[in-house]
Amino acid sequence: MKKKLEHRLSHRLSVLKAVAIVTYKEWAAYRTHSMVSIFVGPVYFIVQYFIWTAVYGSKGQINGMELNQMLRYFGVSTIIGYLTMDFADWNLQMLVRTGKFTTFLLRPIHHRYFALSQKFGHRVLGFFIEFVPCLLIFQFIFRINIVPQHIIYSILSVLLAFFMNFYVNYCIGLTAFWLVQASGIRRVYQALASVFSGAFIPLVFFPTWMQKALFFLPFQYTLYVPSMVATGHYELAEITMSIPQIVGLQAIAVLVAFLLTELIYQRSLRHFTAVGG
Amino acid sequence: MKKYLRLYRQSIRISFAAAMSYRANFILQSLIMILSNSLFPLITLLIYKTGASFPGWSLYEVLLLQSIFTISSGFANMLFSGVVWVTMDHVKEGTLEIVLIKPVKCLFYLVATTFSVENVAVVVGGVIVFIIAYSNISAPSLISWLAAIVFFLIGLLVMLALNLLMSATSFKWVANTRIPEMFTSVLNFGNYPSKIFPKSLQAVITFILPVTMVSCFPAEALLGRADGFMFLAILPCILFLIIGICIYEHMVTLYEGVGG
Repeated sequence: MKKKLEHRLSHRLSVLKAVAIVTYKEWAAYRTHSMVSIFVGPVYFIVQYFIWTAVYGSKGQINGMELNQMLRYFGVSTIIGYLTMDFADWNLQMLVRTGKFTTFLLRPIHHRYFALSQKFGHRVLGFFIEFVPCLLIFQFIFRINIVPQHIIYSILSVLLAFFMNFYVNYCIGLTAFWLVQASGIRRVYQALASVFSGAFIPLVFFPTWMQKALFFLPFQYTLYVPSMVATGHYELAEITMSIPQIVGLQAIAVLVAFLLTELIYQRSLRHFTAVGG
Repeated sequence: MKKYLRLYRQSIRISFAAAMSYRANFILQSLIMILSNSLFPLITLLIYKTGASFPGWSLYEVLLLQSIFTISSGFANMLFSGVVWVTMDHVKEGTLEIVLIKPVKCLFYLVATTFSVENVAVVVGGVIVFIIAYSNISAPSLISWLAAIVFFLIGLLVMLALNLLMSATSFKWVANTRIPEMFTSVLNFGNYPSKIFPKSLQAVITFILPVTMVSCFPAEALLGRADGFMFLAILPCILFLIIGICIYEHMVTLYEGVGG
């Protein structure tokens, strides 16, 4: 029994490695695509820098955050975004819309696992081409302290955000089994996520009732939580949590997202016609 | 000329027909665009709720500026932004010859055939925010309105130039779908009052990459703050468009047709 389990695990790891390496090599051919981030990330940050410098003016604190904390938040959240970035929703809806998903039904591997392995390969490339250069730019040119307060918890939180982003996007992609053309719902999610994940503004700026609601929605677990864990202090809806507590909550949220993905996946297969649309 | 008008009319018809073939998605997409364009001012609203502000700008003045930015983006997406993606695709696939052998100007054909009806919703989203902001500022004079309209139209030309530069880049940087992100990041400077930036940066975004013309100057004109300096900035905008067209046309002549 134990041997069988070990064999299964090693098989799954070898699949993950193989798919990730292929994806890495495939995208490495287009590495200049990723390099665009080295320009875009710092430019957005410069805009943020001037916005917040103007907004703070002579104010010492806004919503309990000082200007340097705010800039650190944006620096950290920008580079975390490079590690968790995902487009599983686009891939999946394209496979369903074109009917190509059929080929995955014939393979002895769950499509979700295949897509997750692809994401690993893609983000390893992102680590070298986007994350590391931008980290150096923020740390040494912009002089933003990017080094996390709790390194282990920060790594864990980023990893959980990576999974959260993937599972939620995968759920969005699954809607293509019903809608065929799922670009509309993808845009809804992206629009909401861009605001409620904390990418534009820390979530403590939202009204308290909305902050409370965000505990039950996936958005904060994809960006706000890992960013706050990295800065060493988490607070939302006037609730202050210790770093282990919020990472634990994030883990529960990821588990719920995983179960939801499985549930929707099982139902969605009944709608698959394999003819495209 | 008649031929071009007919072609443009036909392209609009096709764009409508294509959108209608996925009606549910079209309706959903339109609602989303209105929603997502209403979300952006939310950030400004949240900042002002804390009592903080952009120096010299009230909440509704900033919303006015940002709604003009949204309306301009909506028109740009509807009228000519598609040229970026279609050029990128043709260069990648090596199929631009299909367009080049047609008895119309390549650039016009690509602009016309990529008319995107979906982006009407972006304009609508922007107009909603504009009306809210407008009703909370003192009514501008007719002269202010005229100046704002002139600046807005010139700002649209800047958007066109940016789109042409993006498309031109795709001839050399083949299949890089992230080219637009680079330009969008620069365009982001135009979404805020230019006074928050240092003077040197203001000069760059007014005379070299004139993104302030997209929304900041039209908003300032509506608020009765237009000055001669802003009218002077029209010249670099027109020059920017000419450069955009020339570079695009030049890149077409360098097209090799091998794909990538």
